[in-house]
Amino acid sequence: MKVTPIIGLEVHVELKTKSKMFCGCDASHFHAQPNTHTCPVCLGLPGALPVPNKTACDWDIKLGLALGCSINRNSFFERKNYFYPDLPKGYQITQLQKPFAINGKIKVDGYDIRINRAHMEEDTGKSVHMTLDGKDVTLLDYNRSGVPLVEIVSEPDIPSAQVAKSYLNKIQQIVRYIGISDADIEKGSMRCEPTVNLCIDDKYFTPLVEIKNVASLTGVLNAIEFEIKRQTQEYIDSNIVKSDTNKTTRGWDADKSLTFLQREKEGSADYRYFPEPDIPPIEYSDDEIEAIRASLPELPDQKIARYKSYNLSDYDANLLADDAVFSAIFEKALNNSTDFEFAKFVTNLFIGPLKTISLEIEKINPIFFKNIFEHKKELSSTAIKQLILDSYETGIDPLEIAKSKNLFQVSDTGKIEEIAKKIIADNPKAVADYQKNPLSIGFLIGQLMRASAGSANPQLAKEILEKLLK
Amino acid sequence: MPNLNKLTLKEALLGIKEKKFTAPELVSDCYDRIAAVDHQLNSFVTIVDKETALKQAQKVDPSLPLAGIPVAIKDNFLIEGLRTTASSKVLDSYIAQYTSTVVQKLISAGAIVIGKTNMDAWAHGSSTETSDFGPTKNPWNTNHLPGGSSGGSAAAVAADECIISIGSETAGSIRQPSAWCGIVGLKPTYGRCSRYGVISMASSTDSPGPICKTVDDSAFVLSIIAGHDPNDATSIDQNSWLYPSQSISDLKGLRLGLPKAYFPSEIKTEVKEATLRAAETFKKLGAEIIELDVLDPQYAIAVYTVLQRSEVSSNLARFTGVRYGNDRSFFAKEAIRRIMLGTYSLSSGYYDAYYLKAQKVRTLIVDDFNNQFKKVDAIIGPTSPTTALPLGATQGQAMFGELEDMLMEPSSLAGLPGISIPCGFANGLPIGLQITGPQLSEDKIVNIARLFESNTDYHLQRPQL
Repeated sequence: MKVTPIIGLEVHVELKTKSKMFCGCDASHFHAQPNTHTCPVCLGLPGALPVPNKTACDWDIKLGLALGCSINRNSFFERKNYFYPDLPKGYQITQLQKPFAINGKIKVDGYDIRINRAHMEEDTGKSVHMTLDGKDVTLLDYNRSGVPLVEIVSEPDIPSAQVAKSYLNKIQQIVRYIGISDADIEKGSMRCEPTVNLCIDDKYFTPLVEIKNVASLTGVLNAIEFEIKRQTQEYIDSNIVKSDTNKTTRGWDADKSLTFLQREKEGSADYRYFPEPDIPPIEYSDDEIEAIRASLPELPDQKIARYKSYNLSDYDANLLADDAVFSAIFEKALNNSTDFEFAKFVTNLFIGPLKTISLEIEKINPIFFKNIFEHKKELSSTAIKQLILDSYETGIDPLEIAKSKNLFQVSDTGKIEEIAKKIIADNPKAVADYQKNPLSIGFLIGQLMRASAGSANPQLAKEILEKLLK
Repeated sequence: MPNLNKLTLKEALLGIKEKKFTAPELVSDCYDRIAAVDHQLNSFVTIVDKETALKQAQKVDPSLPLAGIPVAIKDNFLIEGLRTTASSKVLDSYIAQYTSTVVQKLISAGAIVIGKTNMDAWAHGSSTETSDFGPTKNPWNTNHLPGGSSGGSAAAVAADECIISIGSETAGSIRQPSAWCGIVGLKPTYGRCSRYGVISMASSTDSPGPICKTVDDSAFVLSIIAGHDPNDATSIDQNSWLYPSQSISDLKGLRLGLPKAYFPSEIKTEVKEATLRAAETFKKLGAEIIELDVLDPQYAIAVYTVLQRSEVSSNLARFTGVRYGNDRSFFAKEAIRRIMLGTYSLSSGYYDAYYLKAQKVRTLIVDDFNNQFKKVDAIIGPTSPTTALPLGATQGQAMFGELEDMLMEPSSLAGLPGISIPCGFANGLPIGLQITGPQLSEDKIVNIARLFESNTDYHLQRPQL
């Protein structure tokens, strides 16, 4: 039996604009005192009217462009009508017929994943279920109500759980690169809902399953993998195939590592969409769209390609480009150098010692990197690691630190020979040992290094001792 | 000076300025009038505490343009701290948490809010008979309806319970009750006055506007409440509308259209005659009267019904009973009917046939007006095909409002400004004449209406209560 998973993802990203989507309220809501970031508009009070946030619309278009989408010059908002306690107006303002961004495509793990749309909408409030004075109650917090939300809908082009995870990584990376959201899954500023079914023997399709409550990237991976296995078994057991009426919604239980049935036989809910009469259609001129395009930073794929052109490995390039802030710091250190050897040297520092601390771009001085690089032959690898960290922390030129700490290795053979002669004279027993067993030279090298206060080049010290003891 | 409440806005402002009387005296006379007649009329749903209003009148800055003027506000406008019900029991105990832009502008201009006026519940109707707080009665004959939905506002002005009032119109709700109550109703261009803080009925046509005793008064009030509002995305991007203080002396060169279709078979003879007489007056003043073939207003009824119900069904969804006191069982029949019809017309499978088609026809109506305004400068016609109907006329008439407002629905759908002014009487009940112009042509229609008013005396007659 041939089993081909068909996976599509709906990803919601909360934009980190200052104000909410349709009012002036503070859009930040994580850990805010409940119902303090509210006004008549986001509370849905009678008579209150939505006024769209231009920055949020621009950012949706920016994301659309980053995902290779076409932009609808004439777009409009629509009302999606449904009842839920945390939806204060009884409808959500969203986009259906003419989203800002449509028909995009991104490459993930070698696969082309088509993006159906990246549309603009508003977040709902939050229902908080708790026990108060011994009673089970549901409290409503409207701080999140009206926070700008972009929904990115993929086509079902994702062939495996692993690619789904990579796809989400990529979306997250792009969103963070263009600086429109923290896209933090744990904090809820990025949320995703996979829809999964299987194609069996290139002929039959299993019923669609939408998975909810996935709260981490690993969760997405595990939930999809579980669902592929579950649907395979279900097909073997029942032979049931997809129909218009057997789509189900299943929840992911991360503790038990399984999906469970939430809603069955979900016919398409009738949301009675219609154009939002409170907001006139929104028009973007070609110039405005091009201005947004021009504001796009270099995107991850472009950056990785550029890094590889510096002769960096695929692994290194990916690691450096993973985070836009980190790569900007790296590039400040690199200082537009086209020297491949230098690039590799700086890369090693960034994926090595500098990876272990949190970096601030202001504290990076490119001259320090250049100075260490130019004297790298006179410094031990341990010294180099220490110097880059010390100079970063103190702002003092690493060469000065090296000088004051005597970290420069002495490669002057005459000087080393002088010390070596003294060591040989002072340690007759060790010399005798060496004559019997050449492997015991380590002791003499150690003595020499100590006598030079660690400044001698150990390789050179060994060679000179061996020569003198021949 | 006795009965200051009978004054027009212009007279009241002048009287205060010349210190013939004080603002508190003016306010006090309105309260006395309310105490004397409102039990017969039921114009008000909520009356502001008299002492509070008097204190405001005492403290008001005399340099403000509406300093000390008592104003009555339709009960679908929110005023912070004041009960706002839209005449529905669903909101029986709802205290507004903020103030609508239009009311804020009036208050900032020195006006004194004395009460919230009755209306058809949720503004669903043209009679004020569907109010959950009982019908308002026509001051000219209390056995008759005042029209609606801004019936309370119109009756309060006609009965001199206030100097000016504010109404809102979706399709006729300012002009029709003004016609039936023998006063002036000015419906501005859609977006001229902010909808922020007005309980939405049909968002794409709702237009707040003044109801006053004279054309001049209504133009002056409009100049106060008009203007772009950053809280209303549909408000017009013009900061203000300047009150045309200079009157015109004749209508030479003006082309006035008289659509044949505005005289349907249902029209009352006296209404038709009064309208034709008004046309003669315009002719004498120098205007050219041109008969027009316009789209049959019947189409507008169909379009309006579908669009308005659709928007209503969504706009009323928030009144779940979770946050506003009373639950959905408090919706009366008319609201339920509209919610049902609107929900149906937006449902999948019906959307294209109803909502989408209605939007297309709406575009045709807009186009038709654009074409008509190439031939004429403004369009005149009867505001309503009848004079005020007796109480109970809406019983069993689910489409009462649409038929009553059919002569205003086309222009409302096109967002056009219009004014209704008194142009005659039949059996002691007033007749209204409407003047409609292209978008943003308030100056023009105000000037035409003002000239008509100064050449006639219908507006000077007052009901005997």
